[in-house]
Amino acid sequence: MKFIHAADLHLDSPFLGLTTLPSSLLTTVRQSTFTAATRVFDRAIAEQVDFVLLAGDLFDRAEQSVAAQAYLFQQFDRLNDQHIPVIISFGNHDYLADQHQTVAYPANVTVLGPDVTTHTLTLASGETVAVSGFSYPERWVPTDQVADFPAHAETQWHIGMLHGAVATGTSDHYAPFHVADLLAKRYDYWALGHIHHRQFLAEQPPILYAGNTQGRSINETGEKGAYLVTSQAGKLVPEFFPTAEILWEAATLPSTATDLPQLTTDLTDWLTANTATQATLTAVTVSSAALTGADLTSFKNGEWLALYQRTHARQLKAAQRYLIGAKLATNQAQPVAPQLDQSYWEQGAAIIFTTDNLQTTFGKLAQDPALAEWFAQPDTATQVHEQAEQLLAELMGEEAHDEA
Amino acid sequence: MKLKRLTIYGFGHFHDRTFDLTDGLNFLVGPNEAGKSTLTQFITAILFGFPTKKHPELRYEPLDGSRFGGEMQFVQADVTYTVTRTAGPHGGKVTLHNDTTDLALPANNLAGLLAPVDQQLFTSVYAINEPRLGQVFAASKQELIDRLRHVGAVGSDFWLTQAHQLDQQADSRYKPQGRNPILNQQLQAHRELTDKLAKADAAYGTYWQLLQEQQDLRQQQAQTQDQLAQQRQVTAQLTQQAASWPAFAEWQRLGQLADQPVPSGFSADDATQLEQLRGQVTATEKALTADQQRVQDLQQTAQLPPLFQEYLPVAAQVDPLLTQLPAVQQAAQMQQQLAAQQRDLQQRSTALETQYAVGGQMPRPFSLATLQQVKDLQERLTAANQKRRRIQQHLNQLNERYQQQQPTRQQQRNPLADKQLIWLAVGLVVLVGSLLLPGTLFKLVGALCGVAVGYYGVFQVDSSTPASRELEDLTADIRDNQAQLREGGHLVDDLTTQLDVIGEAHGLGNVPLAQWSAAQTAIAEWERLSRQMEEQGAQLAKAKQTIAEFLTAVGQVLPSLATSDFATVATQLADLQARQQASQTQSGELASLTERLRTDQRAADEASHALAIFLSTRNLRSVAAFYDRYQTQRERQNQAQQRTTLAQQIGPANLAALQQVADQASLTQSVQQAQTQQAQLQQTLDQTTTRLATLAGQLAHLTASGTQATLRQRLANLETQMVATTQEWLVQRLTSQWISATLAAASGDRLPQIVAQASKLYGKLTENRYTEIELTATTLRVRRADGAWRNVGQLSRGTAEQLDLAVKLAFAIVMQQQVAMPLLIDDGFVNFDADRRQAAYALLAEISQTVQIIFLTADTAVERLNTGNLIRLND
Repeated sequence: MKFIHAADLHLDSPFLGLTTLPSSLLTTVRQSTFTAATRVFDRAIAEQVDFVLLAGDLFDRAEQSVAAQAYLFQQFDRLNDQHIPVIISFGNHDYLADQHQTVAYPANVTVLGPDVTTHTLTLASGETVAVSGFSYPERWVPTDQVADFPAHAETQWHIGMLHGAVATGTSDHYAPFHVADLLAKRYDYWALGHIHHRQFLAEQPPILYAGNTQGRSINETGEKGAYLVTSQAGKLVPEFFPTAEILWEAATLPSTATDLPQLTTDLTDWLTANTATQATLTAVTVSSAALTGADLTSFKNGEWLALYQRTHARQLKAAQRYLIGAKLATNQAQPVAPQLDQSYWEQGAAIIFTTDNLQTTFGKLAQDPALAEWFAQPDTATQVHEQAEQLLAELMGEEAHDEA
Repeated sequence: MKLKRLTIYGFGHFHDRTFDLTDGLNFLVGPNEAGKSTLTQFITAILFGFPTKKHPELRYEPLDGSRFGGEMQFVQADVTYTVTRTAGPHGGKVTLHNDTTDLALPANNLAGLLAPVDQQLFTSVYAINEPRLGQVFAASKQELIDRLRHVGAVGSDFWLTQAHQLDQQADSRYKPQGRNPILNQQLQAHRELTDKLAKADAAYGTYWQLLQEQQDLRQQQAQTQDQLAQQRQVTAQLTQQAASWPAFAEWQRLGQLADQPVPSGFSADDATQLEQLRGQVTATEKALTADQQRVQDLQQTAQLPPLFQEYLPVAAQVDPLLTQLPAVQQAAQMQQQLAAQQRDLQQRSTALETQYAVGGQMPRPFSLATLQQVKDLQERLTAANQKRRRIQQHLNQLNERYQQQQPTRQQQRNPLADKQLIWLAVGLVVLVGSLLLPGTLFKLVGALCGVAVGYYGVFQVDSSTPASRELEDLTADIRDNQAQLREGGHLVDDLTTQLDVIGEAHGLGNVPLAQWSAAQTAIAEWERLSRQMEEQGAQLAKAKQTIAEFLTAVGQVLPSLATSDFATVATQLADLQARQQASQTQSGELASLTERLRTDQRAADEASHALAIFLSTRNLRSVAAFYDRYQTQRERQNQAQQRTTLAQQIGPANLAALQQVADQASLTQSVQQAQTQQAQLQQTLDQTTTRLATLAGQLAHLTASGTQATLRQRLANLETQMVATTQEWLVQRLTSQWISATLAAASGDRLPQIVAQASKLYGKLTENRYTEIELTATTLRVRRADGAWRNVGQLSRGTAEQLDLAVKLAFAIVMQQQVAMPLLIDDGFVNFDADRRQAAYALLAEISQTVQIIFLTADTAVERLNTGNLIRLND
C-alpha cells in the first residue's frame, strides 16, 4: 500500500515579512502555495497512491480565498478521476464551521467530522486501512483528543490523523497531545499537521509532521514538501519529497567592510559563491561590518539594499536569490554617557522600558491588528530595548564625535 | 548674568535712552504709558531677537523713525559683554562684544552665553507680569520638571536636543493625529487596502453562491434533459396519434357499428338453412301445384260440379264442417220450432197486453203485503156497503112512517118556537131600559130582569106537545139514520179512495176492482210468457249464431257458398258430402290424387311452417328481411375485419391513448401543448446551458482574477512595512523618553529644594497664612496655617498670583548656580493688598541679595522704601 501524507498547504496565503517584491517574482510567489500543492497531487497520481491524507490547514478560512476553494475542487476532481480517495482533517486555519460550504467536495473526498471518526478503506490490493481523526470545529481545540481515538482496528493498517501540537501545559489551543499516548494506540502511522517544520516525533511507528508544502516566511526556511509512505515488510516507511517553489534562507554575510562599496563587493562575492538551487528569498545578516555615518544610515534605511537590487539584478538572478532584507549583526557595546552619570541612564531605562510604559506609548496603534500582533510577540520588547540602546550608543558616539 | 546698562536707539516711544542698573534691586517707576512693558519687551528682544514682522505690535519699532534696536551691557561669569541688536533678518542684526577683552565675538555665541535659558524659559520664568502670574505653573509638576530638566543637568542641552530630534523623527514616523507621518500614511493605506480586500473577499460569498448555483443548474440541466427527452417522446407519440386520427376515426365509426348487439341466427349456416327451407317450400308448392293441376285436369275430365272442385283443395277444412252439418241442421229445425213458439207466446202476451196494458204499460203485480191490504180493504168495503144498504132500508121505512104521521109540513112546526124571538126582544128592551134607570141598583135589577125575561123566552117556552113528540122522535130517527148513512158513505168513499190509490200505483186505474184478482193472475201469466220468450229468444239466437258461424266458416272455405242461405248451404253440403263419399269410393285415382294432394298440402304446410318458425324465431316477417339482416351481418363482419386491420395499423398503445382522447381538436391541442411544452423545455434547457456557460465564465473570472491574492500579499507587505516603521518609531520614542527620564533623574533632586524654597517664600508673601506647598504629578496645592489644604483653583486671584510668584522666585533662587538670569517683574503685584505688597517688596529686597531684580511699577510707594536703585522713567 502506498499513500501520501501532506499538511499545512495554506493555499493562497500571502508571504509574510516582505516589503517589496519584483513583479517577476510576484506571480511565482502568488502561485507558489498552489504549485507546491499541485506537486503533491501530481505525485499522488504519478505514484497511483491508494489514498491521500491531508492533515489540516489546507487553506485559511479567514482569508476567504476563492482561488483556494476553486483549486481544491479542481484537484479533488482530478484525484476523483483517478479514483484516489482523499481524507481531510481540517485544522485551526480551515476549521469546519463555514456556512458557505454548501457545495460538497467530490465523492472521493472524506472530511472527518468534529468528533474523532474512523474511515475504513479497502484498497485495490484487498488490504484494509482504517484512518481515524477529526476536524477542528472552530479555531481552537484546547483539549487532548487522543483518548477519543479508537484502539487499532481489525484492519491491516490503522493510521491516525492529528492536527495539533505536543502539549506544553499552558496555552495549548491546538489539540495538545503526548507522544506516549499516540504510541499507546499502537497505530501503524500518525500523520500529523500544524507544525510547519517537518519532524519525526517517533521513528517506529512513524509519528511525524509533514511540515508545510511551501515556506511562507523567513522563519520557514529549508526544503518543504510532503511524505510518500509505502508499506515495506509490514511497516510503513515515509519518504520525503520536496514541493516548494520558493525557498527561504537566512544567510550570514561575513564581511568586515567599513564602507558600503566594500560591503557591496563582499555581497556580490558571497552571491557568486552561494548560488541557490532554486529561487530563494534570502535575508542577509552582515557580521562584523563597521559602517558609520551616512553609510550606516543608508544601510539601515534600506537605500543601499534597494540600490544593490537594482544594480546587481543579473548577479542575483544568476544566484537565484532575492534579497528580502539586510541587517547588521547586533553590536553589544554598552552605552557610555560621557557627561551624565551611568546610574541616571539606568534609572531612566527602569522607568521607560516597562510593560506599562510600552503599552502607553504604543497607545492607539494597538487598535491595528497587525501591529498589535507584532507588539504582542514576546521578543518585541527586547528587540525594541536593544535597538534603543543601539540608537543611544550611536548618539553618544555622535556626542563624543562632536566633542572630538 | 547681570544687566549693567540698557541703551535704547529706538524702541517704542524710547529713543536714545540709557538706563544703568545695579546688581541688586532696581525699581523703574512710571505711570501708565511710561514704557514699562516696552522696557520688558526691549530686554527680551535684545537677548532673544525681535519678533517677526508678522507681529508688528510686539516689535515696538520706533514711531519717530530713529534707529530700531539698542544695546545691552551685561556681566556673565565676571566677563562684561555688550550685545547690540538692530533691524535685520532673523530676529535682527546682532553684534556681540567682549568688553573685558575688548574682542568682538560671533553673534551666535550669544545663545551659548544665554544657555540653557531660551526665550521660552525666560518669558515663562524670569519675565513676570501680572497676566502671566497664576498661569504658568498652575498646570502641573511636569511643567516645572520640564523647566528644571531644561536647566537641571550638565550637558542636558545636547540630550535635550537629541531627545527633541528623536521626537521629531518619531513624529515624522507616527503621530496619533495627522496624515503626513509615514505610519499614519501606511495605516491609511492599510485601511484602504483592507477595504479593497474586504470588497474582493465579497467574491468569496459570490463564489460559493455561484458554485451552488452551478451545482443546482447542472442538476436542473440533467433533469431538463431527461424531461425534454420524455417530452420529445410524448410529442412524437402525440404527433403519430394525430396522424393516425383519420384511421382511428374510421376505427371508431366501425366500432360503433360493431358495438350494436349481434343477433344470433343470421350466420351463413342460417342462410343455408333458410335456403333449404325455401327450397322445400318451393318444392312442395311446386308438387302441390302440379298435383292440383292434375286434379283439375282429372276433375275437368270427370265433370265435377264447381263446388266440388272448389271443395277438393279445401277438403281438409270442409270435412269438419261436414261432420258438423247434422248438428247444425238440428239447430235449424229447433230454430223454426222456437220461432213458432215465440209467435204463439207473442200472441198470448199481446192479448194480455191489450186487455190490461194502459198506454202500452202492463199493470204491475201486487206485492204480498199489498195483496193482503187490498183484500182487507175489499172486505171492509163490502161490509160498509152492506151496512149502508141496511141503513138505507131502515131509513126508507122510517121515511114512510113519517110521511104517514106528518100530513103537512106546517103542522109539524112548534108555535112557541116562533115566540122565542119576541121573548128575546122583550128581555133586551128591559135590559136596555133598566140601564136608563137612575141608580145603580135599579140598573142592576133592571138588567137582571131583562136577562131573566130573555132566558125564559128562549129556554122555558120550548115545550112540546105529545104529538109532536112522537113526530119528533121519528124525525130524530130519520135524522140519525141519515147521519149513519152519511157516515157509511164517508167510509165507503174512504176505502174506495185507498183502493184507487193502490190501483193507480200499480197501473190498475182502469181496471174495476172486481177484476183486480183476475188481472193479477193475467199479469203473472204475462210475465211467465215474457220469460219464456226471452229463453226461447236466447235459444233462438244461439241457434242462429251456430248457423251463422257455420255459414261463415263454410263461406270462408267455399266462397261460392258465401252468399247462400243455410238451407241452400245445407243442401249443397249434403250434396257435397254425398258426392265426396261417392267420389271417395268411386274414383281411386282421384282419391289417391286427393290423398297426394293432401300430403302435398301437408308437406307444403310443413315447409311453410318450418319457414315461418325459422323466420319467427328471428323475429322476422319475411325472407327478404332475413336477407337484409343477413346482409347487414355480413357487412358487419367485413367492418370488424377492417377494424382489426385499422387497429393493427394504429397500434395498440396509440389506440388505447386515442380512446382517451375526446376529439380531434383536443388531440391537436394536446399535440400543440406537447410541442409548446417541448419548446419551453428546450428554452429552459438553453437558458440553463447559457446560464451555466455564464457561470463558468464568472467562476473562471473569480478564480483567476488573483485580486484577492495580490491584495493580500500587498497587505502582508504593507504590514511588514508598518511593523518596521512602528518599530523605528517606538525605538525613537522610547529613546527620547529614556533621555528625558535620565535628565529628570539627574535634575530631579532640585525639585524638592524648589518646593521647600517656594513654601518658605509663600509663607512670607501671605504673612504665614499658608505654610506649605505640595507639588504632585498633576496638581499644585497649598496648606493653610490651620492645616487645611487648598487647590490652586480654590485660592483668590491675589493669593494664586502670590503662589506663582513664590514658585518662580524659588526656581530662580534654587537654579541660581545653573542660571543667573535677572528677574524682570512688570507691575506684578497689582492684585496684592497693601500688607502683602509690602511683604513682597521686603521679599524682593531679600532676594535681590543673590538675584538681580528689575521691578517695573506704577506704584510710587516704592519711592518711599528707600531700598534699591530707583529710576523714574519719565525723567
